[in-house]
Amino acid sequence: MSALVISPVLVPLATAVLTTLAGRRPGIQQVLSFAGIAAFLACALALVALAAADRPAEAAFGGWAAPFGIQFLIDRTGAVLVLVTALMGTASLVFLASDADTGPRHPLLLPLVHGLLAGVGGAFATADLFNLYVWFEVMLICALGLFAIGGRLDQLDATFKYLALNLLGTLLLLIAVGAVYAVTGHLNFGALAQASEALPPGLATLVLAALILAFLIKAGAFPLFAWLPASYHTLPAPVLALFAGLLTKVGVYAVLRTLGDVFAPAPELLYEALGWIAAATMLVGVLGAAYHWDMRRILAFHIVSQIGYILLGVALMSEAGNAATLFYTVHHIVVKANLFLIAAILWRLAGSYDLRQIGGLYALRPWLGVLFLIPALSLVGVPPLSGFWAKLLILEEAIAQGRVAWTVVALLVSVLTLYSMVKIWMEGFWSPHPDPQWRLPRARLWPAYAATLGLAAVTLWIGLNPQPLLTYAQAAASTLGAH
Amino acid sequence: MSIGWIILLPLCGALAAPLVAGRTRAASAWAAAAATATALAVALSHAPAVFAGETVQLLYPWIPAIGLDLALRLDGLAFVFVLLVLAIGLLVILYASYYLPAEDPKGRFFALLLLFQTAMLGIVMADNLLMLLVFWELTSLTSFLLVGYDPSKQAARRGARIALVITGAGGLALLAGLLLLGHVVGSYRLSDVLAAGDLVRGHDLYVPILVLILLGVFTKSAQFPFHFWLPGAMAAPTPVSAYLHSATMVKAGVFLLARFHPTLAGTEVWFYLVGGVGLTTLLFGAYTALFKHDLKGLLAYSTISHLGLITFLFGLGTPLGAVAGLFHIINHAIFKGSLFMAAGIIDHETGTRDMRRINGLWKYMPYTATLAMVAASAMAGVPLLNGFLSKEMFFDQTLDLDLLGGVAWLLPAAATLAGTFAVAYSLRFIHDVFFNGEPVDLPRTPHEPPRWMRIPVEILVALCLLVGILPQQTVGPFLEIGASGMLGSPPSFDLAIWHGFNAPLVMSLIALGAGVLVYSSRHWLFATHDRLLPRTSGEAAFERIAALLLHVSHRIMAWIDNRSLQRYAVWLVLVVLVLTAAPLVRHGLTLDGGLAGEPVDGVSLVAALLVAAAAVATVVAARRQRLLALIMTSIVGLVVSLTFIHFSAPDLALTQLSVEVVTTILLLLVLYLLPLGEIRPTPRWRQIRDLVLASAAGLGTAALAYAMMTRGYEPISRYFLEFAKPHGGGTNVVNVILVDFRGFDTWGEITVLGIAATGIYAMLRGLRLKAPTRGIGGRPWSADAHPLILAMISRPLLPLALLVSVYILLRGHNSPGGGFIAGLVAGTALILQQLASGQQWTGERMRLGYFTLIGVGLAVATGTGLAALIFERPFLTSAYTYLSLPLVGKVEVASAMAFDLGVFLVVVGTVMLILENLGRLTSGRTQTAPVSPGEER
Repeated sequence: MSALVISPVLVPLATAVLTTLAGRRPGIQQVLSFAGIAAFLACALALVALAAADRPAEAAFGGWAAPFGIQFLIDRTGAVLVLVTALMGTASLVFLASDADTGPRHPLLLPLVHGLLAGVGGAFATADLFNLYVWFEVMLICALGLFAIGGRLDQLDATFKYLALNLLGTLLLLIAVGAVYAVTGHLNFGALAQASEALPPGLATLVLAALILAFLIKAGAFPLFAWLPASYHTLPAPVLALFAGLLTKVGVYAVLRTLGDVFAPAPELLYEALGWIAAATMLVGVLGAAYHWDMRRILAFHIVSQIGYILLGVALMSEAGNAATLFYTVHHIVVKANLFLIAAILWRLAGSYDLRQIGGLYALRPWLGVLFLIPALSLVGVPPLSGFWAKLLILEEAIAQGRVAWTVVALLVSVLTLYSMVKIWMEGFWSPHPDPQWRLPRARLWPAYAATLGLAAVTLWIGLNPQPLLTYAQAAASTLGAH
Repeated sequence: MSIGWIILLPLCGALAAPLVAGRTRAASAWAAAAATATALAVALSHAPAVFAGETVQLLYPWIPAIGLDLALRLDGLAFVFVLLVLAIGLLVILYASYYLPAEDPKGRFFALLLLFQTAMLGIVMADNLLMLLVFWELTSLTSFLLVGYDPSKQAARRGARIALVITGAGGLALLAGLLLLGHVVGSYRLSDVLAAGDLVRGHDLYVPILVLILLGVFTKSAQFPFHFWLPGAMAAPTPVSAYLHSATMVKAGVFLLARFHPTLAGTEVWFYLVGGVGLTTLLFGAYTALFKHDLKGLLAYSTISHLGLITFLFGLGTPLGAVAGLFHIINHAIFKGSLFMAAGIIDHETGTRDMRRINGLWKYMPYTATLAMVAASAMAGVPLLNGFLSKEMFFDQTLDLDLLGGVAWLLPAAATLAGTFAVAYSLRFIHDVFFNGEPVDLPRTPHEPPRWMRIPVEILVALCLLVGILPQQTVGPFLEIGASGMLGSPPSFDLAIWHGFNAPLVMSLIALGAGVLVYSSRHWLFATHDRLLPRTSGEAAFERIAALLLHVSHRIMAWIDNRSLQRYAVWLVLVVLVLTAAPLVRHGLTLDGGLAGEPVDGVSLVAALLVAAAAVATVVAARRQRLLALIMTSIVGLVVSLTFIHFSAPDLALTQLSVEVVTTILLLLVLYLLPLGEIRPTPRWRQIRDLVLASAAGLGTAALAYAMMTRGYEPISRYFLEFAKPHGGGTNVVNVILVDFRGFDTWGEITVLGIAATGIYAMLRGLRLKAPTRGIGGRPWSADAHPLILAMISRPLLPLALLVSVYILLRGHNSPGGGFIAGLVAGTALILQQLASGQQWTGERMRLGYFTLIGVGLAVATGTGLAALIFERPFLTSAYTYLSLPLVGKVEVASAMAFDLGVFLVVVGTVMLILENLGRLTSGRTQTAPVSPGEER
């Protein structure tokens, strides 16, 4: 029990250390890496099973009971996100075995990926505000390492931008955590929930605004998202998929955890502001995607746009909204990562990420088209794919609360998202390839297909049978903010 | 068999079609036909029940969490549509298997066609609003893929894209409308919704619901001004046009009008919106159709016009109007389906669809020509054909409307006008194509098509005649059950072909006569039309809007995101400032929390001023004199250390001090390598902007701190003070917090350190820089890399420094010190060796790998934590005991000290690894002399 609760950080970190040590032996490193992710996946499944049985894994480190020590508390929300983290890690690592834009094989690539997973896992597991900050740092430092090991000039430029802007966010987070401690005297989530009830609204608004803004920087919300499109496209595809799927979602999760759980009900101004930020994020993200031709840039802007939907769920300030947020997050992580991976397959087959330079795949690889359409249409929210249910939950709640403007924006953005995905489809699949000499190359793609098919299967499964995830999310939301 | 099979069988067919495609030429067509025919048989097996007035239902729970069941209903209305979809589907499959070239991927085609069929059946049979929507979107999607069947044609790609975006957008509006409807009714079950008509129509949300649902209807059924996607979609293969874009999919919109008739119809808003749009579309489509030279273009606009007619009929909101609408849906599907197939045959046989070139085909294909002429006459509304009957009903309906008052005559006039144009374009279809002289250089010589390709057309044309002559015996019962399914209790209606010499007949006759006149003056009309009406199209407008959107988004994004880090940072700081200031304004929060501050003493004041001055000096110096800026930052650091001492925080002071030393040295190394080139001057306005922002951010942080510190609160630190010694085994509370109470944070942080070191190693590994020969101000670097005196002094210093470091480490648990500080002290001592004696010299003597150091450190720290797990205690639980050692006496041994040792090792390793890698940056150039980071050449 006590060992299981720390597995979201311990297993990936141990794997990171072991793969570092095996850096000179690629074969052994690969085996260790797969063993590590398999163990992580198994632990995550066990955590979900515990959480679903209302016995959330819990530990107070050092034996110092909350609120004095640091606590891990993996409730339904945390557990399912840990599971998705492990799943994404698996997909990404499997994909790495292909030759679809996987970048040069650096001995530190695998250790850093596992380190990143540890950071994400820790953030989902912890019940301590400062400890959350620590896991954000682990993520940041691993992310920087993953940017930098490529060594190309554009990657270094991206590294620097990522570093500079994220450090601003980290600094703000640190200030905010300090402020929260200063006004409540606590860091533990449970204790904070108690203590925050006595806070005067003005002070609570001030402190929480700083905290939420710091998380929003990490989440890539408007207008704090600049670091994301400035850097993401320089990463190799499997790493990019991992970043796209997980990293911004940790920021979103932190917003959900604070505004939707620990400090709920927070002063209404915060939710109101969050709602408008969410609407602007949706809109600006999708507009940013509109004029790009590089698939990675298009998809990167769509991360921003989709973050808006997820935040909207939190802004609705209700149990249904929180359930929608959780459902949307799980769906979106899978879909977004898969789109980046499939874009890499297109790159490998057609030769470029630039839509103007590729085409003709519909005739030669129609099933790849189907594979692309599953996550692409799910992102748009076409029924009966996972994204439809996610959007439905958000819209239903927004409508029930009479939030006309937010609903209209959400619908409008869906149309524009459709436009974007159709653009990729048009240029990548339907248009003839601009180079008449182009032939399908011989490529080692089976690991890539295995990873993307697996993720597409998850999307389809959630789409055709959303009931389990939905009831799980609703049960998870029912415990949020219940203090 | 269960009615579920009606939907499932086509779905199975869709899966089977591509699987069997390779076997024989027609295998996938056979599979598709078999699936459709079986589904039709299943549907027919339920006919007795439906005709008896029952509603056959099927219900499986699917997603109870949001009130969505797999609920199907087969009432009269659904039954009529199911028959229409399946019967025409069967004919289209037969037709398509001859129409498509042999080398085409037929499996894909039939799979998509059947998938569409499944979706269409789902729409008409759905008994749940959300399920209806699921199938609705699926029809848009399959339509998209079918229009783009041959994506090598640009027209196909374009048509598919526009159709998808328009119908997809409409689908989203429909989604919102249905969600609102469900919200108002409190259920997504269709039966509940149909029963809640009065509630919905009286609700405040009625108009938004209606408008949103109508947006879905109008986009799908190609109503003005969303009609333009339909002509573009004609780039699809003709079987697709016949099936989707005339007989079935475009009817999905008007189907909704029929389905929701009991819930939504009958209000004035309904009449003006639905009737108005329908009438506009009717006239616009009929007029435009006449001017299309493309055979399928003419049929497309005629379809738009007829859809407008149907919409208008439903818009009347009367039971009889709805029945007429349903009747015309059936009639239109029959005659337009056959016309599209005939057009496909002509296209197939002549190689073109341009009516200015295909003339006089009567001579080449008299049989097809006869069929097409009958169907076209039905379209024109010639008596004894099915189109005539529903058109009469339409004319009749326009006559007695009291809603419009004094201008009531307008409606029959408009109806007659539309009828006139319908006659004219039908005449054009007949006369231009089959007579009107000789063909103009056709790609091939036309002849009759294969026997089997004609059969579907023959069947449909026979139906036109049958329904037209014997309506009561053929279509009557279907109309009866359809109307009762739609309205509950059907109104009485008369399907006789002769009602006496009445007003509708007069209107028909006028329309026929005027239509002939219009057609005969077509040359003049074409010329006038081209001259007077500018060539605009919805398609062009769509593209313009899309381009505009692109342009605007480009502009917005360029403003937000100009790819400059400074711009990003400005946004970030600005937003944080504004949004954190907002609550102050909104809640009227005062910063002063009421707690009295300590009196300001001279020392603190001087320190504060010093820090502020140093900070400003750093910014000023940063641009030109980096070294000076660095010195200024270390002043800030030192004063902060002193502040810590002043307020009795020796641990913090020690940490700050050692961090300060190490970072300054590392920064100096980096400065050495930075290029010295001229820096572009910053414009004045940007300097001011940055100054304002920076000051605001600084003041804001200070204000926040002030607000926090002037408020009293109950911190948990009292607990730490109380229990550090009895439970943590140490009197230095700061250290006990670091290694025990919150040891987990420290564990995370040393992991960060380790990864950072690894990352820096990875990043700098392959990098080699040219060492600069001159420093700031162009001064050459000193030739003496390793001054002897420094080297000599530093070497004896090392053991001393290490001893101090071990001392700090060991005492840490009880007195100021600890692993982190000790690590930095040891690191500083080792750095000094490198600086004084060079990297190579140090490297030869430093046997330990830095990676090993970090690894061992992490392992020790983690191991301490894991050891607790063995004793079934939480991770990182500490234990301590007292040992009696000879000479030393009683010594406390705490497992936390082992943890601290891990911290120590990681810190030393990290500092050294960074230093070594920075030093190595320039060392690749010269290998001869011992090289140190401070090396100058």
